[in-house]
Amino acid sequence: MNGTLRLARAELRKLFTTKALPVSFAIAIVLAIGSVIVDAMVAGKNGSPRLGTDAGVYQMLKFGAITCVVMLILGILAAGSEFRHRTIIPVLLATPHRARIFAVKVAVIAGLGAVFSAVVFGLGLGTIELTLSAHGMHHLPAGVGHLYAGTVISSACFGMIGVALGALTRNTIGAIVAAIAWTLFIEQVILAAIVPGIEKWLPTAAAIGLTNAPGPDPGRVLPPTTAGLVLAGYALALLAAASRTTMRRDLA
Amino acid sequence: MSTISIQNLTKRYGSVLAVDDLSFDVEPGRVTGFLGPNGSGKTTTLRILLGLATPTTGTATIDGLAYHELPDPVRQVGAALDSGCFHPGRSAAQHLRIIATATGLPRRRVDEVLGLVGLSDVAGRRVGGFSLGMRQRLSLAGALLGDPGVLVFDEPLNGLDPDGIRWLRGLLRELAAQGRTVFVSSHLLTEVAQTVDDVVVLARGRLMTQTTLPDLVARTAVVRVRTPDASRLFEVLTAAGMQVRLVDGSTVEARSATADAVGMAAAAAGVTILELSRHDEDLESLFFELVQQNHQNQEIAA
Repeated sequence: MNGTLRLARAELRKLFTTKALPVSFAIAIVLAIGSVIVDAMVAGKNGSPRLGTDAGVYQMLKFGAITCVVMLILGILAAGSEFRHRTIIPVLLATPHRARIFAVKVAVIAGLGAVFSAVVFGLGLGTIELTLSAHGMHHLPAGVGHLYAGTVISSACFGMIGVALGALTRNTIGAIVAAIAWTLFIEQVILAAIVPGIEKWLPTAAAIGLTNAPGPDPGRVLPPTTAGLVLAGYALALLAAASRTTMRRDLA
Repeated sequence: MSTISIQNLTKRYGSVLAVDDLSFDVEPGRVTGFLGPNGSGKTTTLRILLGLATPTTGTATIDGLAYHELPDPVRQVGAALDSGCFHPGRSAAQHLRIIATATGLPRRRVDEVLGLVGLSDVAGRRVGGFSLGMRQRLSLAGALLGDPGVLVFDEPLNGLDPDGIRWLRGLLRELAAQGRTVFVSSHLLTEVAQTVDDVVVLARGRLMTQTTLPDLVARTAVVRVRTPDASRLFEVLTAAGMQVRLVDGSTVEARSATADAVGMAAAAAGVTILELSRHDEDLESLFFELVQQNHQNQEIAA
């Protein structure tokens, strides 16, 4: 087995030997299935789309953002806890190749994000099909496949952004709080108010463009391909900065 | 066997000079103590040697190679830098298996080193619940994992109980006897005096002395002479090039001299000796003297 594969196995072993991974995955699965059930329960009420319509299914599939946020946090923890608990030191003593270690970590988190989001999307979709079947409906809109792919891509990108943030900052908890505040509040509320129209070019809006079906005002989000490129661009830019910092940082 | 070489090493953090033009070598088959008070630059030097920090100038090499150039670091160098490099949620075995997986070491090696450091019974317990001594042992297990020829330990006795200290001293001697290069830092000379063959003493980032332990011990020896003619003996011994102190009207002390040399010099000068005895000052006093000497030299230079 070559060195890169061994490092990838070691990275997976690290992830599967702490509570962060199973706890965050369990939370994401519960939230995704829970949101589908809640959407099904309120379908057709208070202006919500009716069950079984294309709009109704798209409304139920809006849980893609959950896996993005979970992968963002997991990425921050995967990189940040190496510095917080100083576990990076035994790793670097064993394999003193910082660039390779960082690249492998990014690849493993991106891969995990893709697999995990595919599983969660599958579970959510299965829950939707069961719900529709219970009401004698069997219709899924054609755009589901695009949302599936969009969720996988955006979750992988958010995992990579998380690794970059974890490597750039020295305070893991602070990075998680700041990242959540950014995605839920700063980007869509504050920046959108200060510079109208900018929000669709920001990472969270790009993820929404990938994970949600076009809403009544398609101009508010980018088309999926553009959104994917914008999100990947943010991930690569942050990874480049994090890689530079990781290569130069003295470890005390 | 492997040699550690530090040559003209300087490390500056902004305006702080942590290591100042440091040069020395560490030979295989011996335990070398790397001594100096806290903040003297020991840990910075070790981190540069292990590729965790970059030098401002100079080199730190193992067999002529910088750490990142070593072809198989885990099998060449084992290092235990401190007892805090663990994820508290992982078990001791999981921590070591991650290193073993990353480097292609067999899983059985993890069990072997856990047995070697006496942690087999707690291999499955989370490191977060470990005492400082247990963490120290786990850190040593990590260093021994690849069965390397060079071992670098930073303050390895911290947190160990008396049994643990005795065990570690024996282990260090055994590793050196196998021909390995063993480099051990400590801020207390007495802590490692029973273990080391050579010493490198550092103060404020500068090399104070590099010598063997017997030589350092010889420097602590004081020969005390009681004589009816103390002032005459003082002159005779000073003229013989010895460091001499007139204690009182009937006692003279000679430092860094053997009792034989003092007795012969007194006899040659016809000075009567009533009593001649050798006393060893404690090593720690000499250590502090060396460090103080550096401080004074720097103040004079300033």
